[in-house]
Amino acid sequence: MTRKFGLLSFITGCVSLAALVVIYAPLLTVWVFSFWKPIRVEGSLRLADFSWDSYQKLTENSEILETLRLTLTVGAISTVLAIVLSLVFSLFYWRTRGIARKAMQAIILLPFLLPPIIVGLSLLISFNEIYVRRGVLTIIIGHTVLVIPVVYKIVLNRLESINESYIQASFDLGASKFQTLVYVVIPQLGLAVTSGALLSFAISFDETLVTVFLSGSSSTLPIRLWSMMRLGFVPEINALASSIVCVAALATLLFWLVKKRVEARPRV
Amino acid sequence: MRNSKRTDKWALWAVSTLCLGIPAVFILVPILAFVLNSLWHNDAGQLVKRLTLENYVAFFTDEDMRKVYFRTVFLCLSATVTNLVVGYICALYIYRQKVGSRLVLILIFTLPLFTSYIIKMYAIRGILGHRGVINELLIAAHVIQEPITAFIFSQSAIFLTLVVLYLPFSVLPIYLAMERIPENLRLASDDLGGKESHELKHIIFPLSLNGVVVAAVFTFVMTFGDFVTPQMVGGIDGYTFGRIVYSQFGVALNWPLGSALAVILLATSVVVALLSSLLLKLGVSR
Amino acid sequence: MQTPQELLKLDNICKSYGQTPVLKNINLSVYGNEFLTILGPSGSGKTTILKILAGFEEATQGVVLLNGQDISDMPINRRPFNTVFQDYALFPHMSVRKNVGYGLIVRGVGRAQREKRVDEVIETVGLTGFDKRLPAELSGGQRQRVALARAIICQPRIILLDEPLAALDVALRGQMCKFLKGMQRRLDIAFVFITHDQQEAIAMSDRIVVMRDGEIEQIGTPESLYAEPQTRFVAEFFGENNLLDGVVHSGDGTWAEVEVETDMGYLTCKSNNTATAVGARVAVAVRPENIDLLEDASRGYACKIEDIQYSGATYIVELSLQKASQIKLKCRLHGSRLPPALGVGDIVGVTWAPGSAVVIGKRDA
Repeated sequence: MTRKFGLLSFITGCVSLAALVVIYAPLLTVWVFSFWKPIRVEGSLRLADFSWDSYQKLTENSEILETLRLTLTVGAISTVLAIVLSLVFSLFYWRTRGIARKAMQAIILLPFLLPPIIVGLSLLISFNEIYVRRGVLTIIIGHTVLVIPVVYKIVLNRLESINESYIQASFDLGASKFQTLVYVVIPQLGLAVTSGALLSFAISFDETLVTVFLSGSSSTLPIRLWSMMRLGFVPEINALASSIVCVAALATLLFWLVKKRVEARPRV
Repeated sequence: MRNSKRTDKWALWAVSTLCLGIPAVFILVPILAFVLNSLWHNDAGQLVKRLTLENYVAFFTDEDMRKVYFRTVFLCLSATVTNLVVGYICALYIYRQKVGSRLVLILIFTLPLFTSYIIKMYAIRGILGHRGVINELLIAAHVIQEPITAFIFSQSAIFLTLVVLYLPFSVLPIYLAMERIPENLRLASDDLGGKESHELKHIIFPLSLNGVVVAAVFTFVMTFGDFVTPQMVGGIDGYTFGRIVYSQFGVALNWPLGSALAVILLATSVVVALLSSLLLKLGVSR
Repeated sequence: MQTPQELLKLDNICKSYGQTPVLKNINLSVYGNEFLTILGPSGSGKTTILKILAGFEEATQGVVLLNGQDISDMPINRRPFNTVFQDYALFPHMSVRKNVGYGLIVRGVGRAQREKRVDEVIETVGLTGFDKRLPAELSGGQRQRVALARAIICQPRIILLDEPLAALDVALRGQMCKFLKGMQRRLDIAFVFITHDQQEAIAMSDRIVVMRDGEIEQIGTPESLYAEPQTRFVAEFFGENNLLDGVVHSGDGTWAEVEVETDMGYLTCKSNNTATAVGARVAVAVRPENIDLLEDASRGYACKIEDIQYSGATYIVELSLQKASQIKLKCRLHGSRLPPALGVGDIVGVTWAPGSAVVIGKRDA
């Protein structure tokens, strides 16, 4: 089948290119400014010479580093919690029938479907009612609630694609339900759990709209950046932003490579 | 399929309670609490826990608030429509490439999703600002003499920012819907002598519509509930409904009112979602 | 060889899914070391029987008895049977070794002993050297051997095989038939084999259970099913058969022989162990290969040759009865037995040896 290079291809190509430019422009300027600091020369914008200065200042900015550490911690804990709970929930949905599993799934998926502001508000109000102070704990709870639907769906999809005859064969050979779970089911969830974990960590790392309602005195990186944006310009922000983008890009690339390798393995 | 008997029933009850209980406590109860909160009211800074509809009444009677509400709906609808059109074209472009290139392209388009929301906003503000990149470039090219302030701190600034921020969110669902179209349908169309435009109109477009609906609902719900963007790039002129809701929890400290407005925000999102799926069903049955 | 003991008994098993009956009054015994095949078209209920045996399904009525003990409530993992699945169900993330040893792993058998057993069993099925591979790296026939190895390692009383040859190509099937039969002999345990393919059934089985629409049509050795079918369905299921409708006229008292009145006249037939009262409507079956053609038509039943098909080793001659041309017969002759002068349109005498006609007494559906 030959695809002619016609008008349609030209139009779609141009628009896509323009869209890409527009989407990446913000990131590109941040990246550029991290190396070539923008300075004002007689009222107009000029770029300073190339330097690693911003990055160096970044490593010395203990406040930002502390916030980074907190963000990573929150991300890790939320991810682990989300994985554990999602495994329980998805296994429950997979092996039971009836209304309980449907109700559970409907509730679990709510935070994903609702606007984040609603999720943030409801948690804020509830924590307030039970006199729990806003802080790291509330942030972790908020992130976990947000991230569980994602991991749950990924794991459940994988579970439902497992051939029922594997389970039957395991029972047939004398295994108990628990043994079947450990020896046959869980080993097949490797990729699902990994991709769920990566995705949930990424979501937690960047989460802003809900975290804003759950933060106390200390907070995560996005919140800190937001207040910095309102107060003033610090050159390290560009360096920080570029580093984050780089890490995210690398992680995503890594994830895709691993996924390709796993899927390329011959399947029975 | 039975595989052990009596301990099963007990274990099942325990697990069911856990699986239903935890989501209920951490998700359902807070939402109910928040709706309940909207039915209380704030009396000079003190929370009065008696049921009343006065917050809702306040919304429906306050002309300014209604104005902002409809303005925001219009703003978000425009952003959604724009993103749908652009997103569709981009998704189409990716879909028409070879399978290997497709993967790389969709990766390129969705990578920005994994980069910081705040940072993108910060950068956009920098680009659009009256001492920002666009103005500097235009001045350097002698297109204008003075910086244009219209780019920033206005409704159009919010519109532009929303479009740029949420474009990947509309490309992805549309592309995924296209990807699910069986390849042999395209081959059949080719085989029967269909031109590209026919194929587009009769095969690709109808079958990708549910991806369009998903993208539309997603984009609208997210833009409508976004309160950070209007604050950052909207300035004084940039009051959207989401921002009003948020401010009730900030300085204004009128939580019940904020909750009521948030309920209205939620209701709007739900209505949009329902309307879209209805439209889809109608469109499909045609 | 000692007389086989009755090992397993299905006692009046019925199974319905909602309102739809799938199995009706199944009574079946399995003996200690026989190769039993349950044969039938799809929808006949044969797979359901296997599922009830293995424990994947529960019977709506009736019991499963193992050595006289009711095991109907026994969970799957306690039953001393192992199954070879149609898609083999080899655990994709485990090597051949691990798959084969799985039954021992879950029973907590010690590592040293387990490895030894695994080696033995892998050798038994002829897969030495393949033990480290993953299922995805094996061919269909190899996967089947692994499935079998996995099933035999726990030394079950019965091995259940659910259409295991269906996924293999025709050339491989014959080989695997021989292999499975050889395995069964060697292991000296009962095999219960499910299939829809009568050739497989005839090749491997000690006894065959023919199923149709959830009921057992007939149980017997391959020879008895072929030579003495008890229903129309069985008569036509195995190879080709000529069936003539008739009414029982008289018997010789012992009911070993009956005379049946048909459109061809009075035929003397073997009564085939079916109780046939005088006046009962029956069918008479004569295998095409048992029919002889005589040039002198008066010495047999006069028939006109409608068609002659040459198929290498044999001729297939289609005939119609002269006095009632709607009665059609098929005759299969070795090349040398066809009188050379005969051709289409000729009248010949059809005859057969006295014991070749068999009465089918059961009403067919």
